[in-house]
Amino acid sequence: MDLSTKSALVVGAGGLGGPALLVLAAGGVGRVVLIEDDAVETSNLNRQPLFGEGDLGARKAAVAAARLRALFPGLQVEARDARFDASNAVELVRAADVVVDGSDNFATKFLANDAAMRARIPLVHGGVLRTTAQILTVAPAGIGGCLRCLFEAPPAPGEVPSCAQAGILGPVAGFAGSLMGAEALRLLAGERGAYEGRLYTYEARSARSRLVLVRRRAGCAACGGTQPLGVDEAPVCEATSSRSGGTA
Amino acid sequence: MSGIPPAALDDARVARWARQLLVPGLGEQAQLRLAGARVRVVGADAVAAPALLYLVQAGVGKLWVDDPETVAPVDAGSWLYTGAEVGRPRAEAAAEALARLSGLVSVEPYPTGGVPTATLVAAPSPAQAVHAAEAARRAGAPHVVVEADGDGGAIVTVPPGAPCYNCARSSGAGRPPLPGAAALAALAATELVLLIASPGTVPGRRFDVVRGVATVRPTVRLPGCACGAAPTAA
Amino acid sequence: MTTSAVVDLRRFACPLTYVKTRIALERLAEGEQLEIWLAPGEPVESVPRSAAEDGHRVVSVERLAAPADGFRVLLEKGASAPGGLP
Repeated sequence: MDLSTKSALVVGAGGLGGPALLVLAAGGVGRVVLIEDDAVETSNLNRQPLFGEGDLGARKAAVAAARLRALFPGLQVEARDARFDASNAVELVRAADVVVDGSDNFATKFLANDAAMRARIPLVHGGVLRTTAQILTVAPAGIGGCLRCLFEAPPAPGEVPSCAQAGILGPVAGFAGSLMGAEALRLLAGERGAYEGRLYTYEARSARSRLVLVRRRAGCAACGGTQPLGVDEAPVCEATSSRSGGTA
Repeated sequence: MSGIPPAALDDARVARWARQLLVPGLGEQAQLRLAGARVRVVGADAVAAPALLYLVQAGVGKLWVDDPETVAPVDAGSWLYTGAEVGRPRAEAAAEALARLSGLVSVEPYPTGGVPTATLVAAPSPAQAVHAAEAARRAGAPHVVVEADGDGGAIVTVPPGAPCYNCARSSGAGRPPLPGAAALAALAATELVLLIASPGTVPGRRFDVVRGVATVRPTVRLPGCACGAAPTAA
Repeated sequence: MTTSAVVDLRRFACPLTYVKTRIALERLAEGEQLEIWLAPGEPVESVPRSAAEDGHRVVSVERLAAPADGFRVLLEKGASAPGGLP
């Protein structure tokens, strides 16, 4: 299937966004837009395939774009060194045929969800924490529920996971991000998503997979496209700077 | 028995693997086991590339890339190889691409006769996969075998003493691999990292990854398979 | 109950403070104690909580005597996870 006329928006270019970008590019998507506002840090390097030791301190957006262009000369890459927030979310989402959310905090994940539903663009949501990966596809034209149908709101600041919960086994992020990229390719090809209306969870030690149905919740404002954007505050575990609540 | 691993992680390694060191069940000893491991990776094509990358990023101390072929046009536009690498020996090109990621890991072409502590098999043909897996089994090395099939495929995990790859493998070759097979490679890397870092916690198991979902089942020894015989002296 | 080790972590930020704490605890036997010094703010707010979540006992948290800035935290190593894992 020729995807050269298609465009994918990828939020974050790290542990989830990185593999997703690589899979999308290898799958022949014509254009990727990546948005990422961090610099490359040492602790990123256990799991972020677009970055190496020589990139420490550099802006992730620029390094990711350069790496993608080197590997895939035919790919159009637009890199936004900026935070994905209420001021740009809908504009970015509307310009894409699919959105892959590799962000690392719940506020951004909810914003991506709300913007995708408002713009009527399918979204692949994912998260990884310790040895567990989770993926959900939110399809505005489908019958499944969205992130807010599943969780009505992000965790309150008091429920922020502590440092103890900030662990990530690197290749598990790679597994999740690659699956997210493959799912995005399916959606771009016009196929039904594998995770549409079903939250997929994989735990690496037990090797257990689960699929949980996510039904549309009656009255969900996000599904109706009327959820106000960017109202959820991002709780901060500042020094990790990969914030909280499901890292990437 | 060479290469006694360091007794403790230095500050650079603690910072590099900070996120992994926080995972319950992993810690300094687990990370040191990874640092002390010599992993032979059989196959370095586009399918194997993500596995190689994740093993390096997870902190495997020494990677031996076992692949006699050159980078093919179909390998360009993968996780490791640009178009400029086409025609170069794959083992060399992989080693160079991976060295750029991390100076804390050593990546070399596989030395003939080298004895790995663990093996990842991502060979292009079933016959090569069986051969490589059998070599690992005889060396007592835990190993993981990748069978790509379109954007999914199968993985067989073989800790020491478990049913061998031959007992659990698929009967034929899969369809040509697609980019989504990177997930399979990442899963194989995960299994191998767990086998090395947390020995004894991973049973023999086979995964089938189809349309983005992995199903797993324990491997079962085929009656009469040589892998069930008592080990002979090395 | 004697303190087996003292680690001054005041110059580190999260999550390194907790990573180093975890490593120091991993090296102890169950019941042995670890004394760590933490900077005020996020480190002292999150490290004891993290240690407790990982199954260790927070014995005490006290301010360091002036002119030192920070806190002395005494932790007691809990039982290892199944399989003898940290």
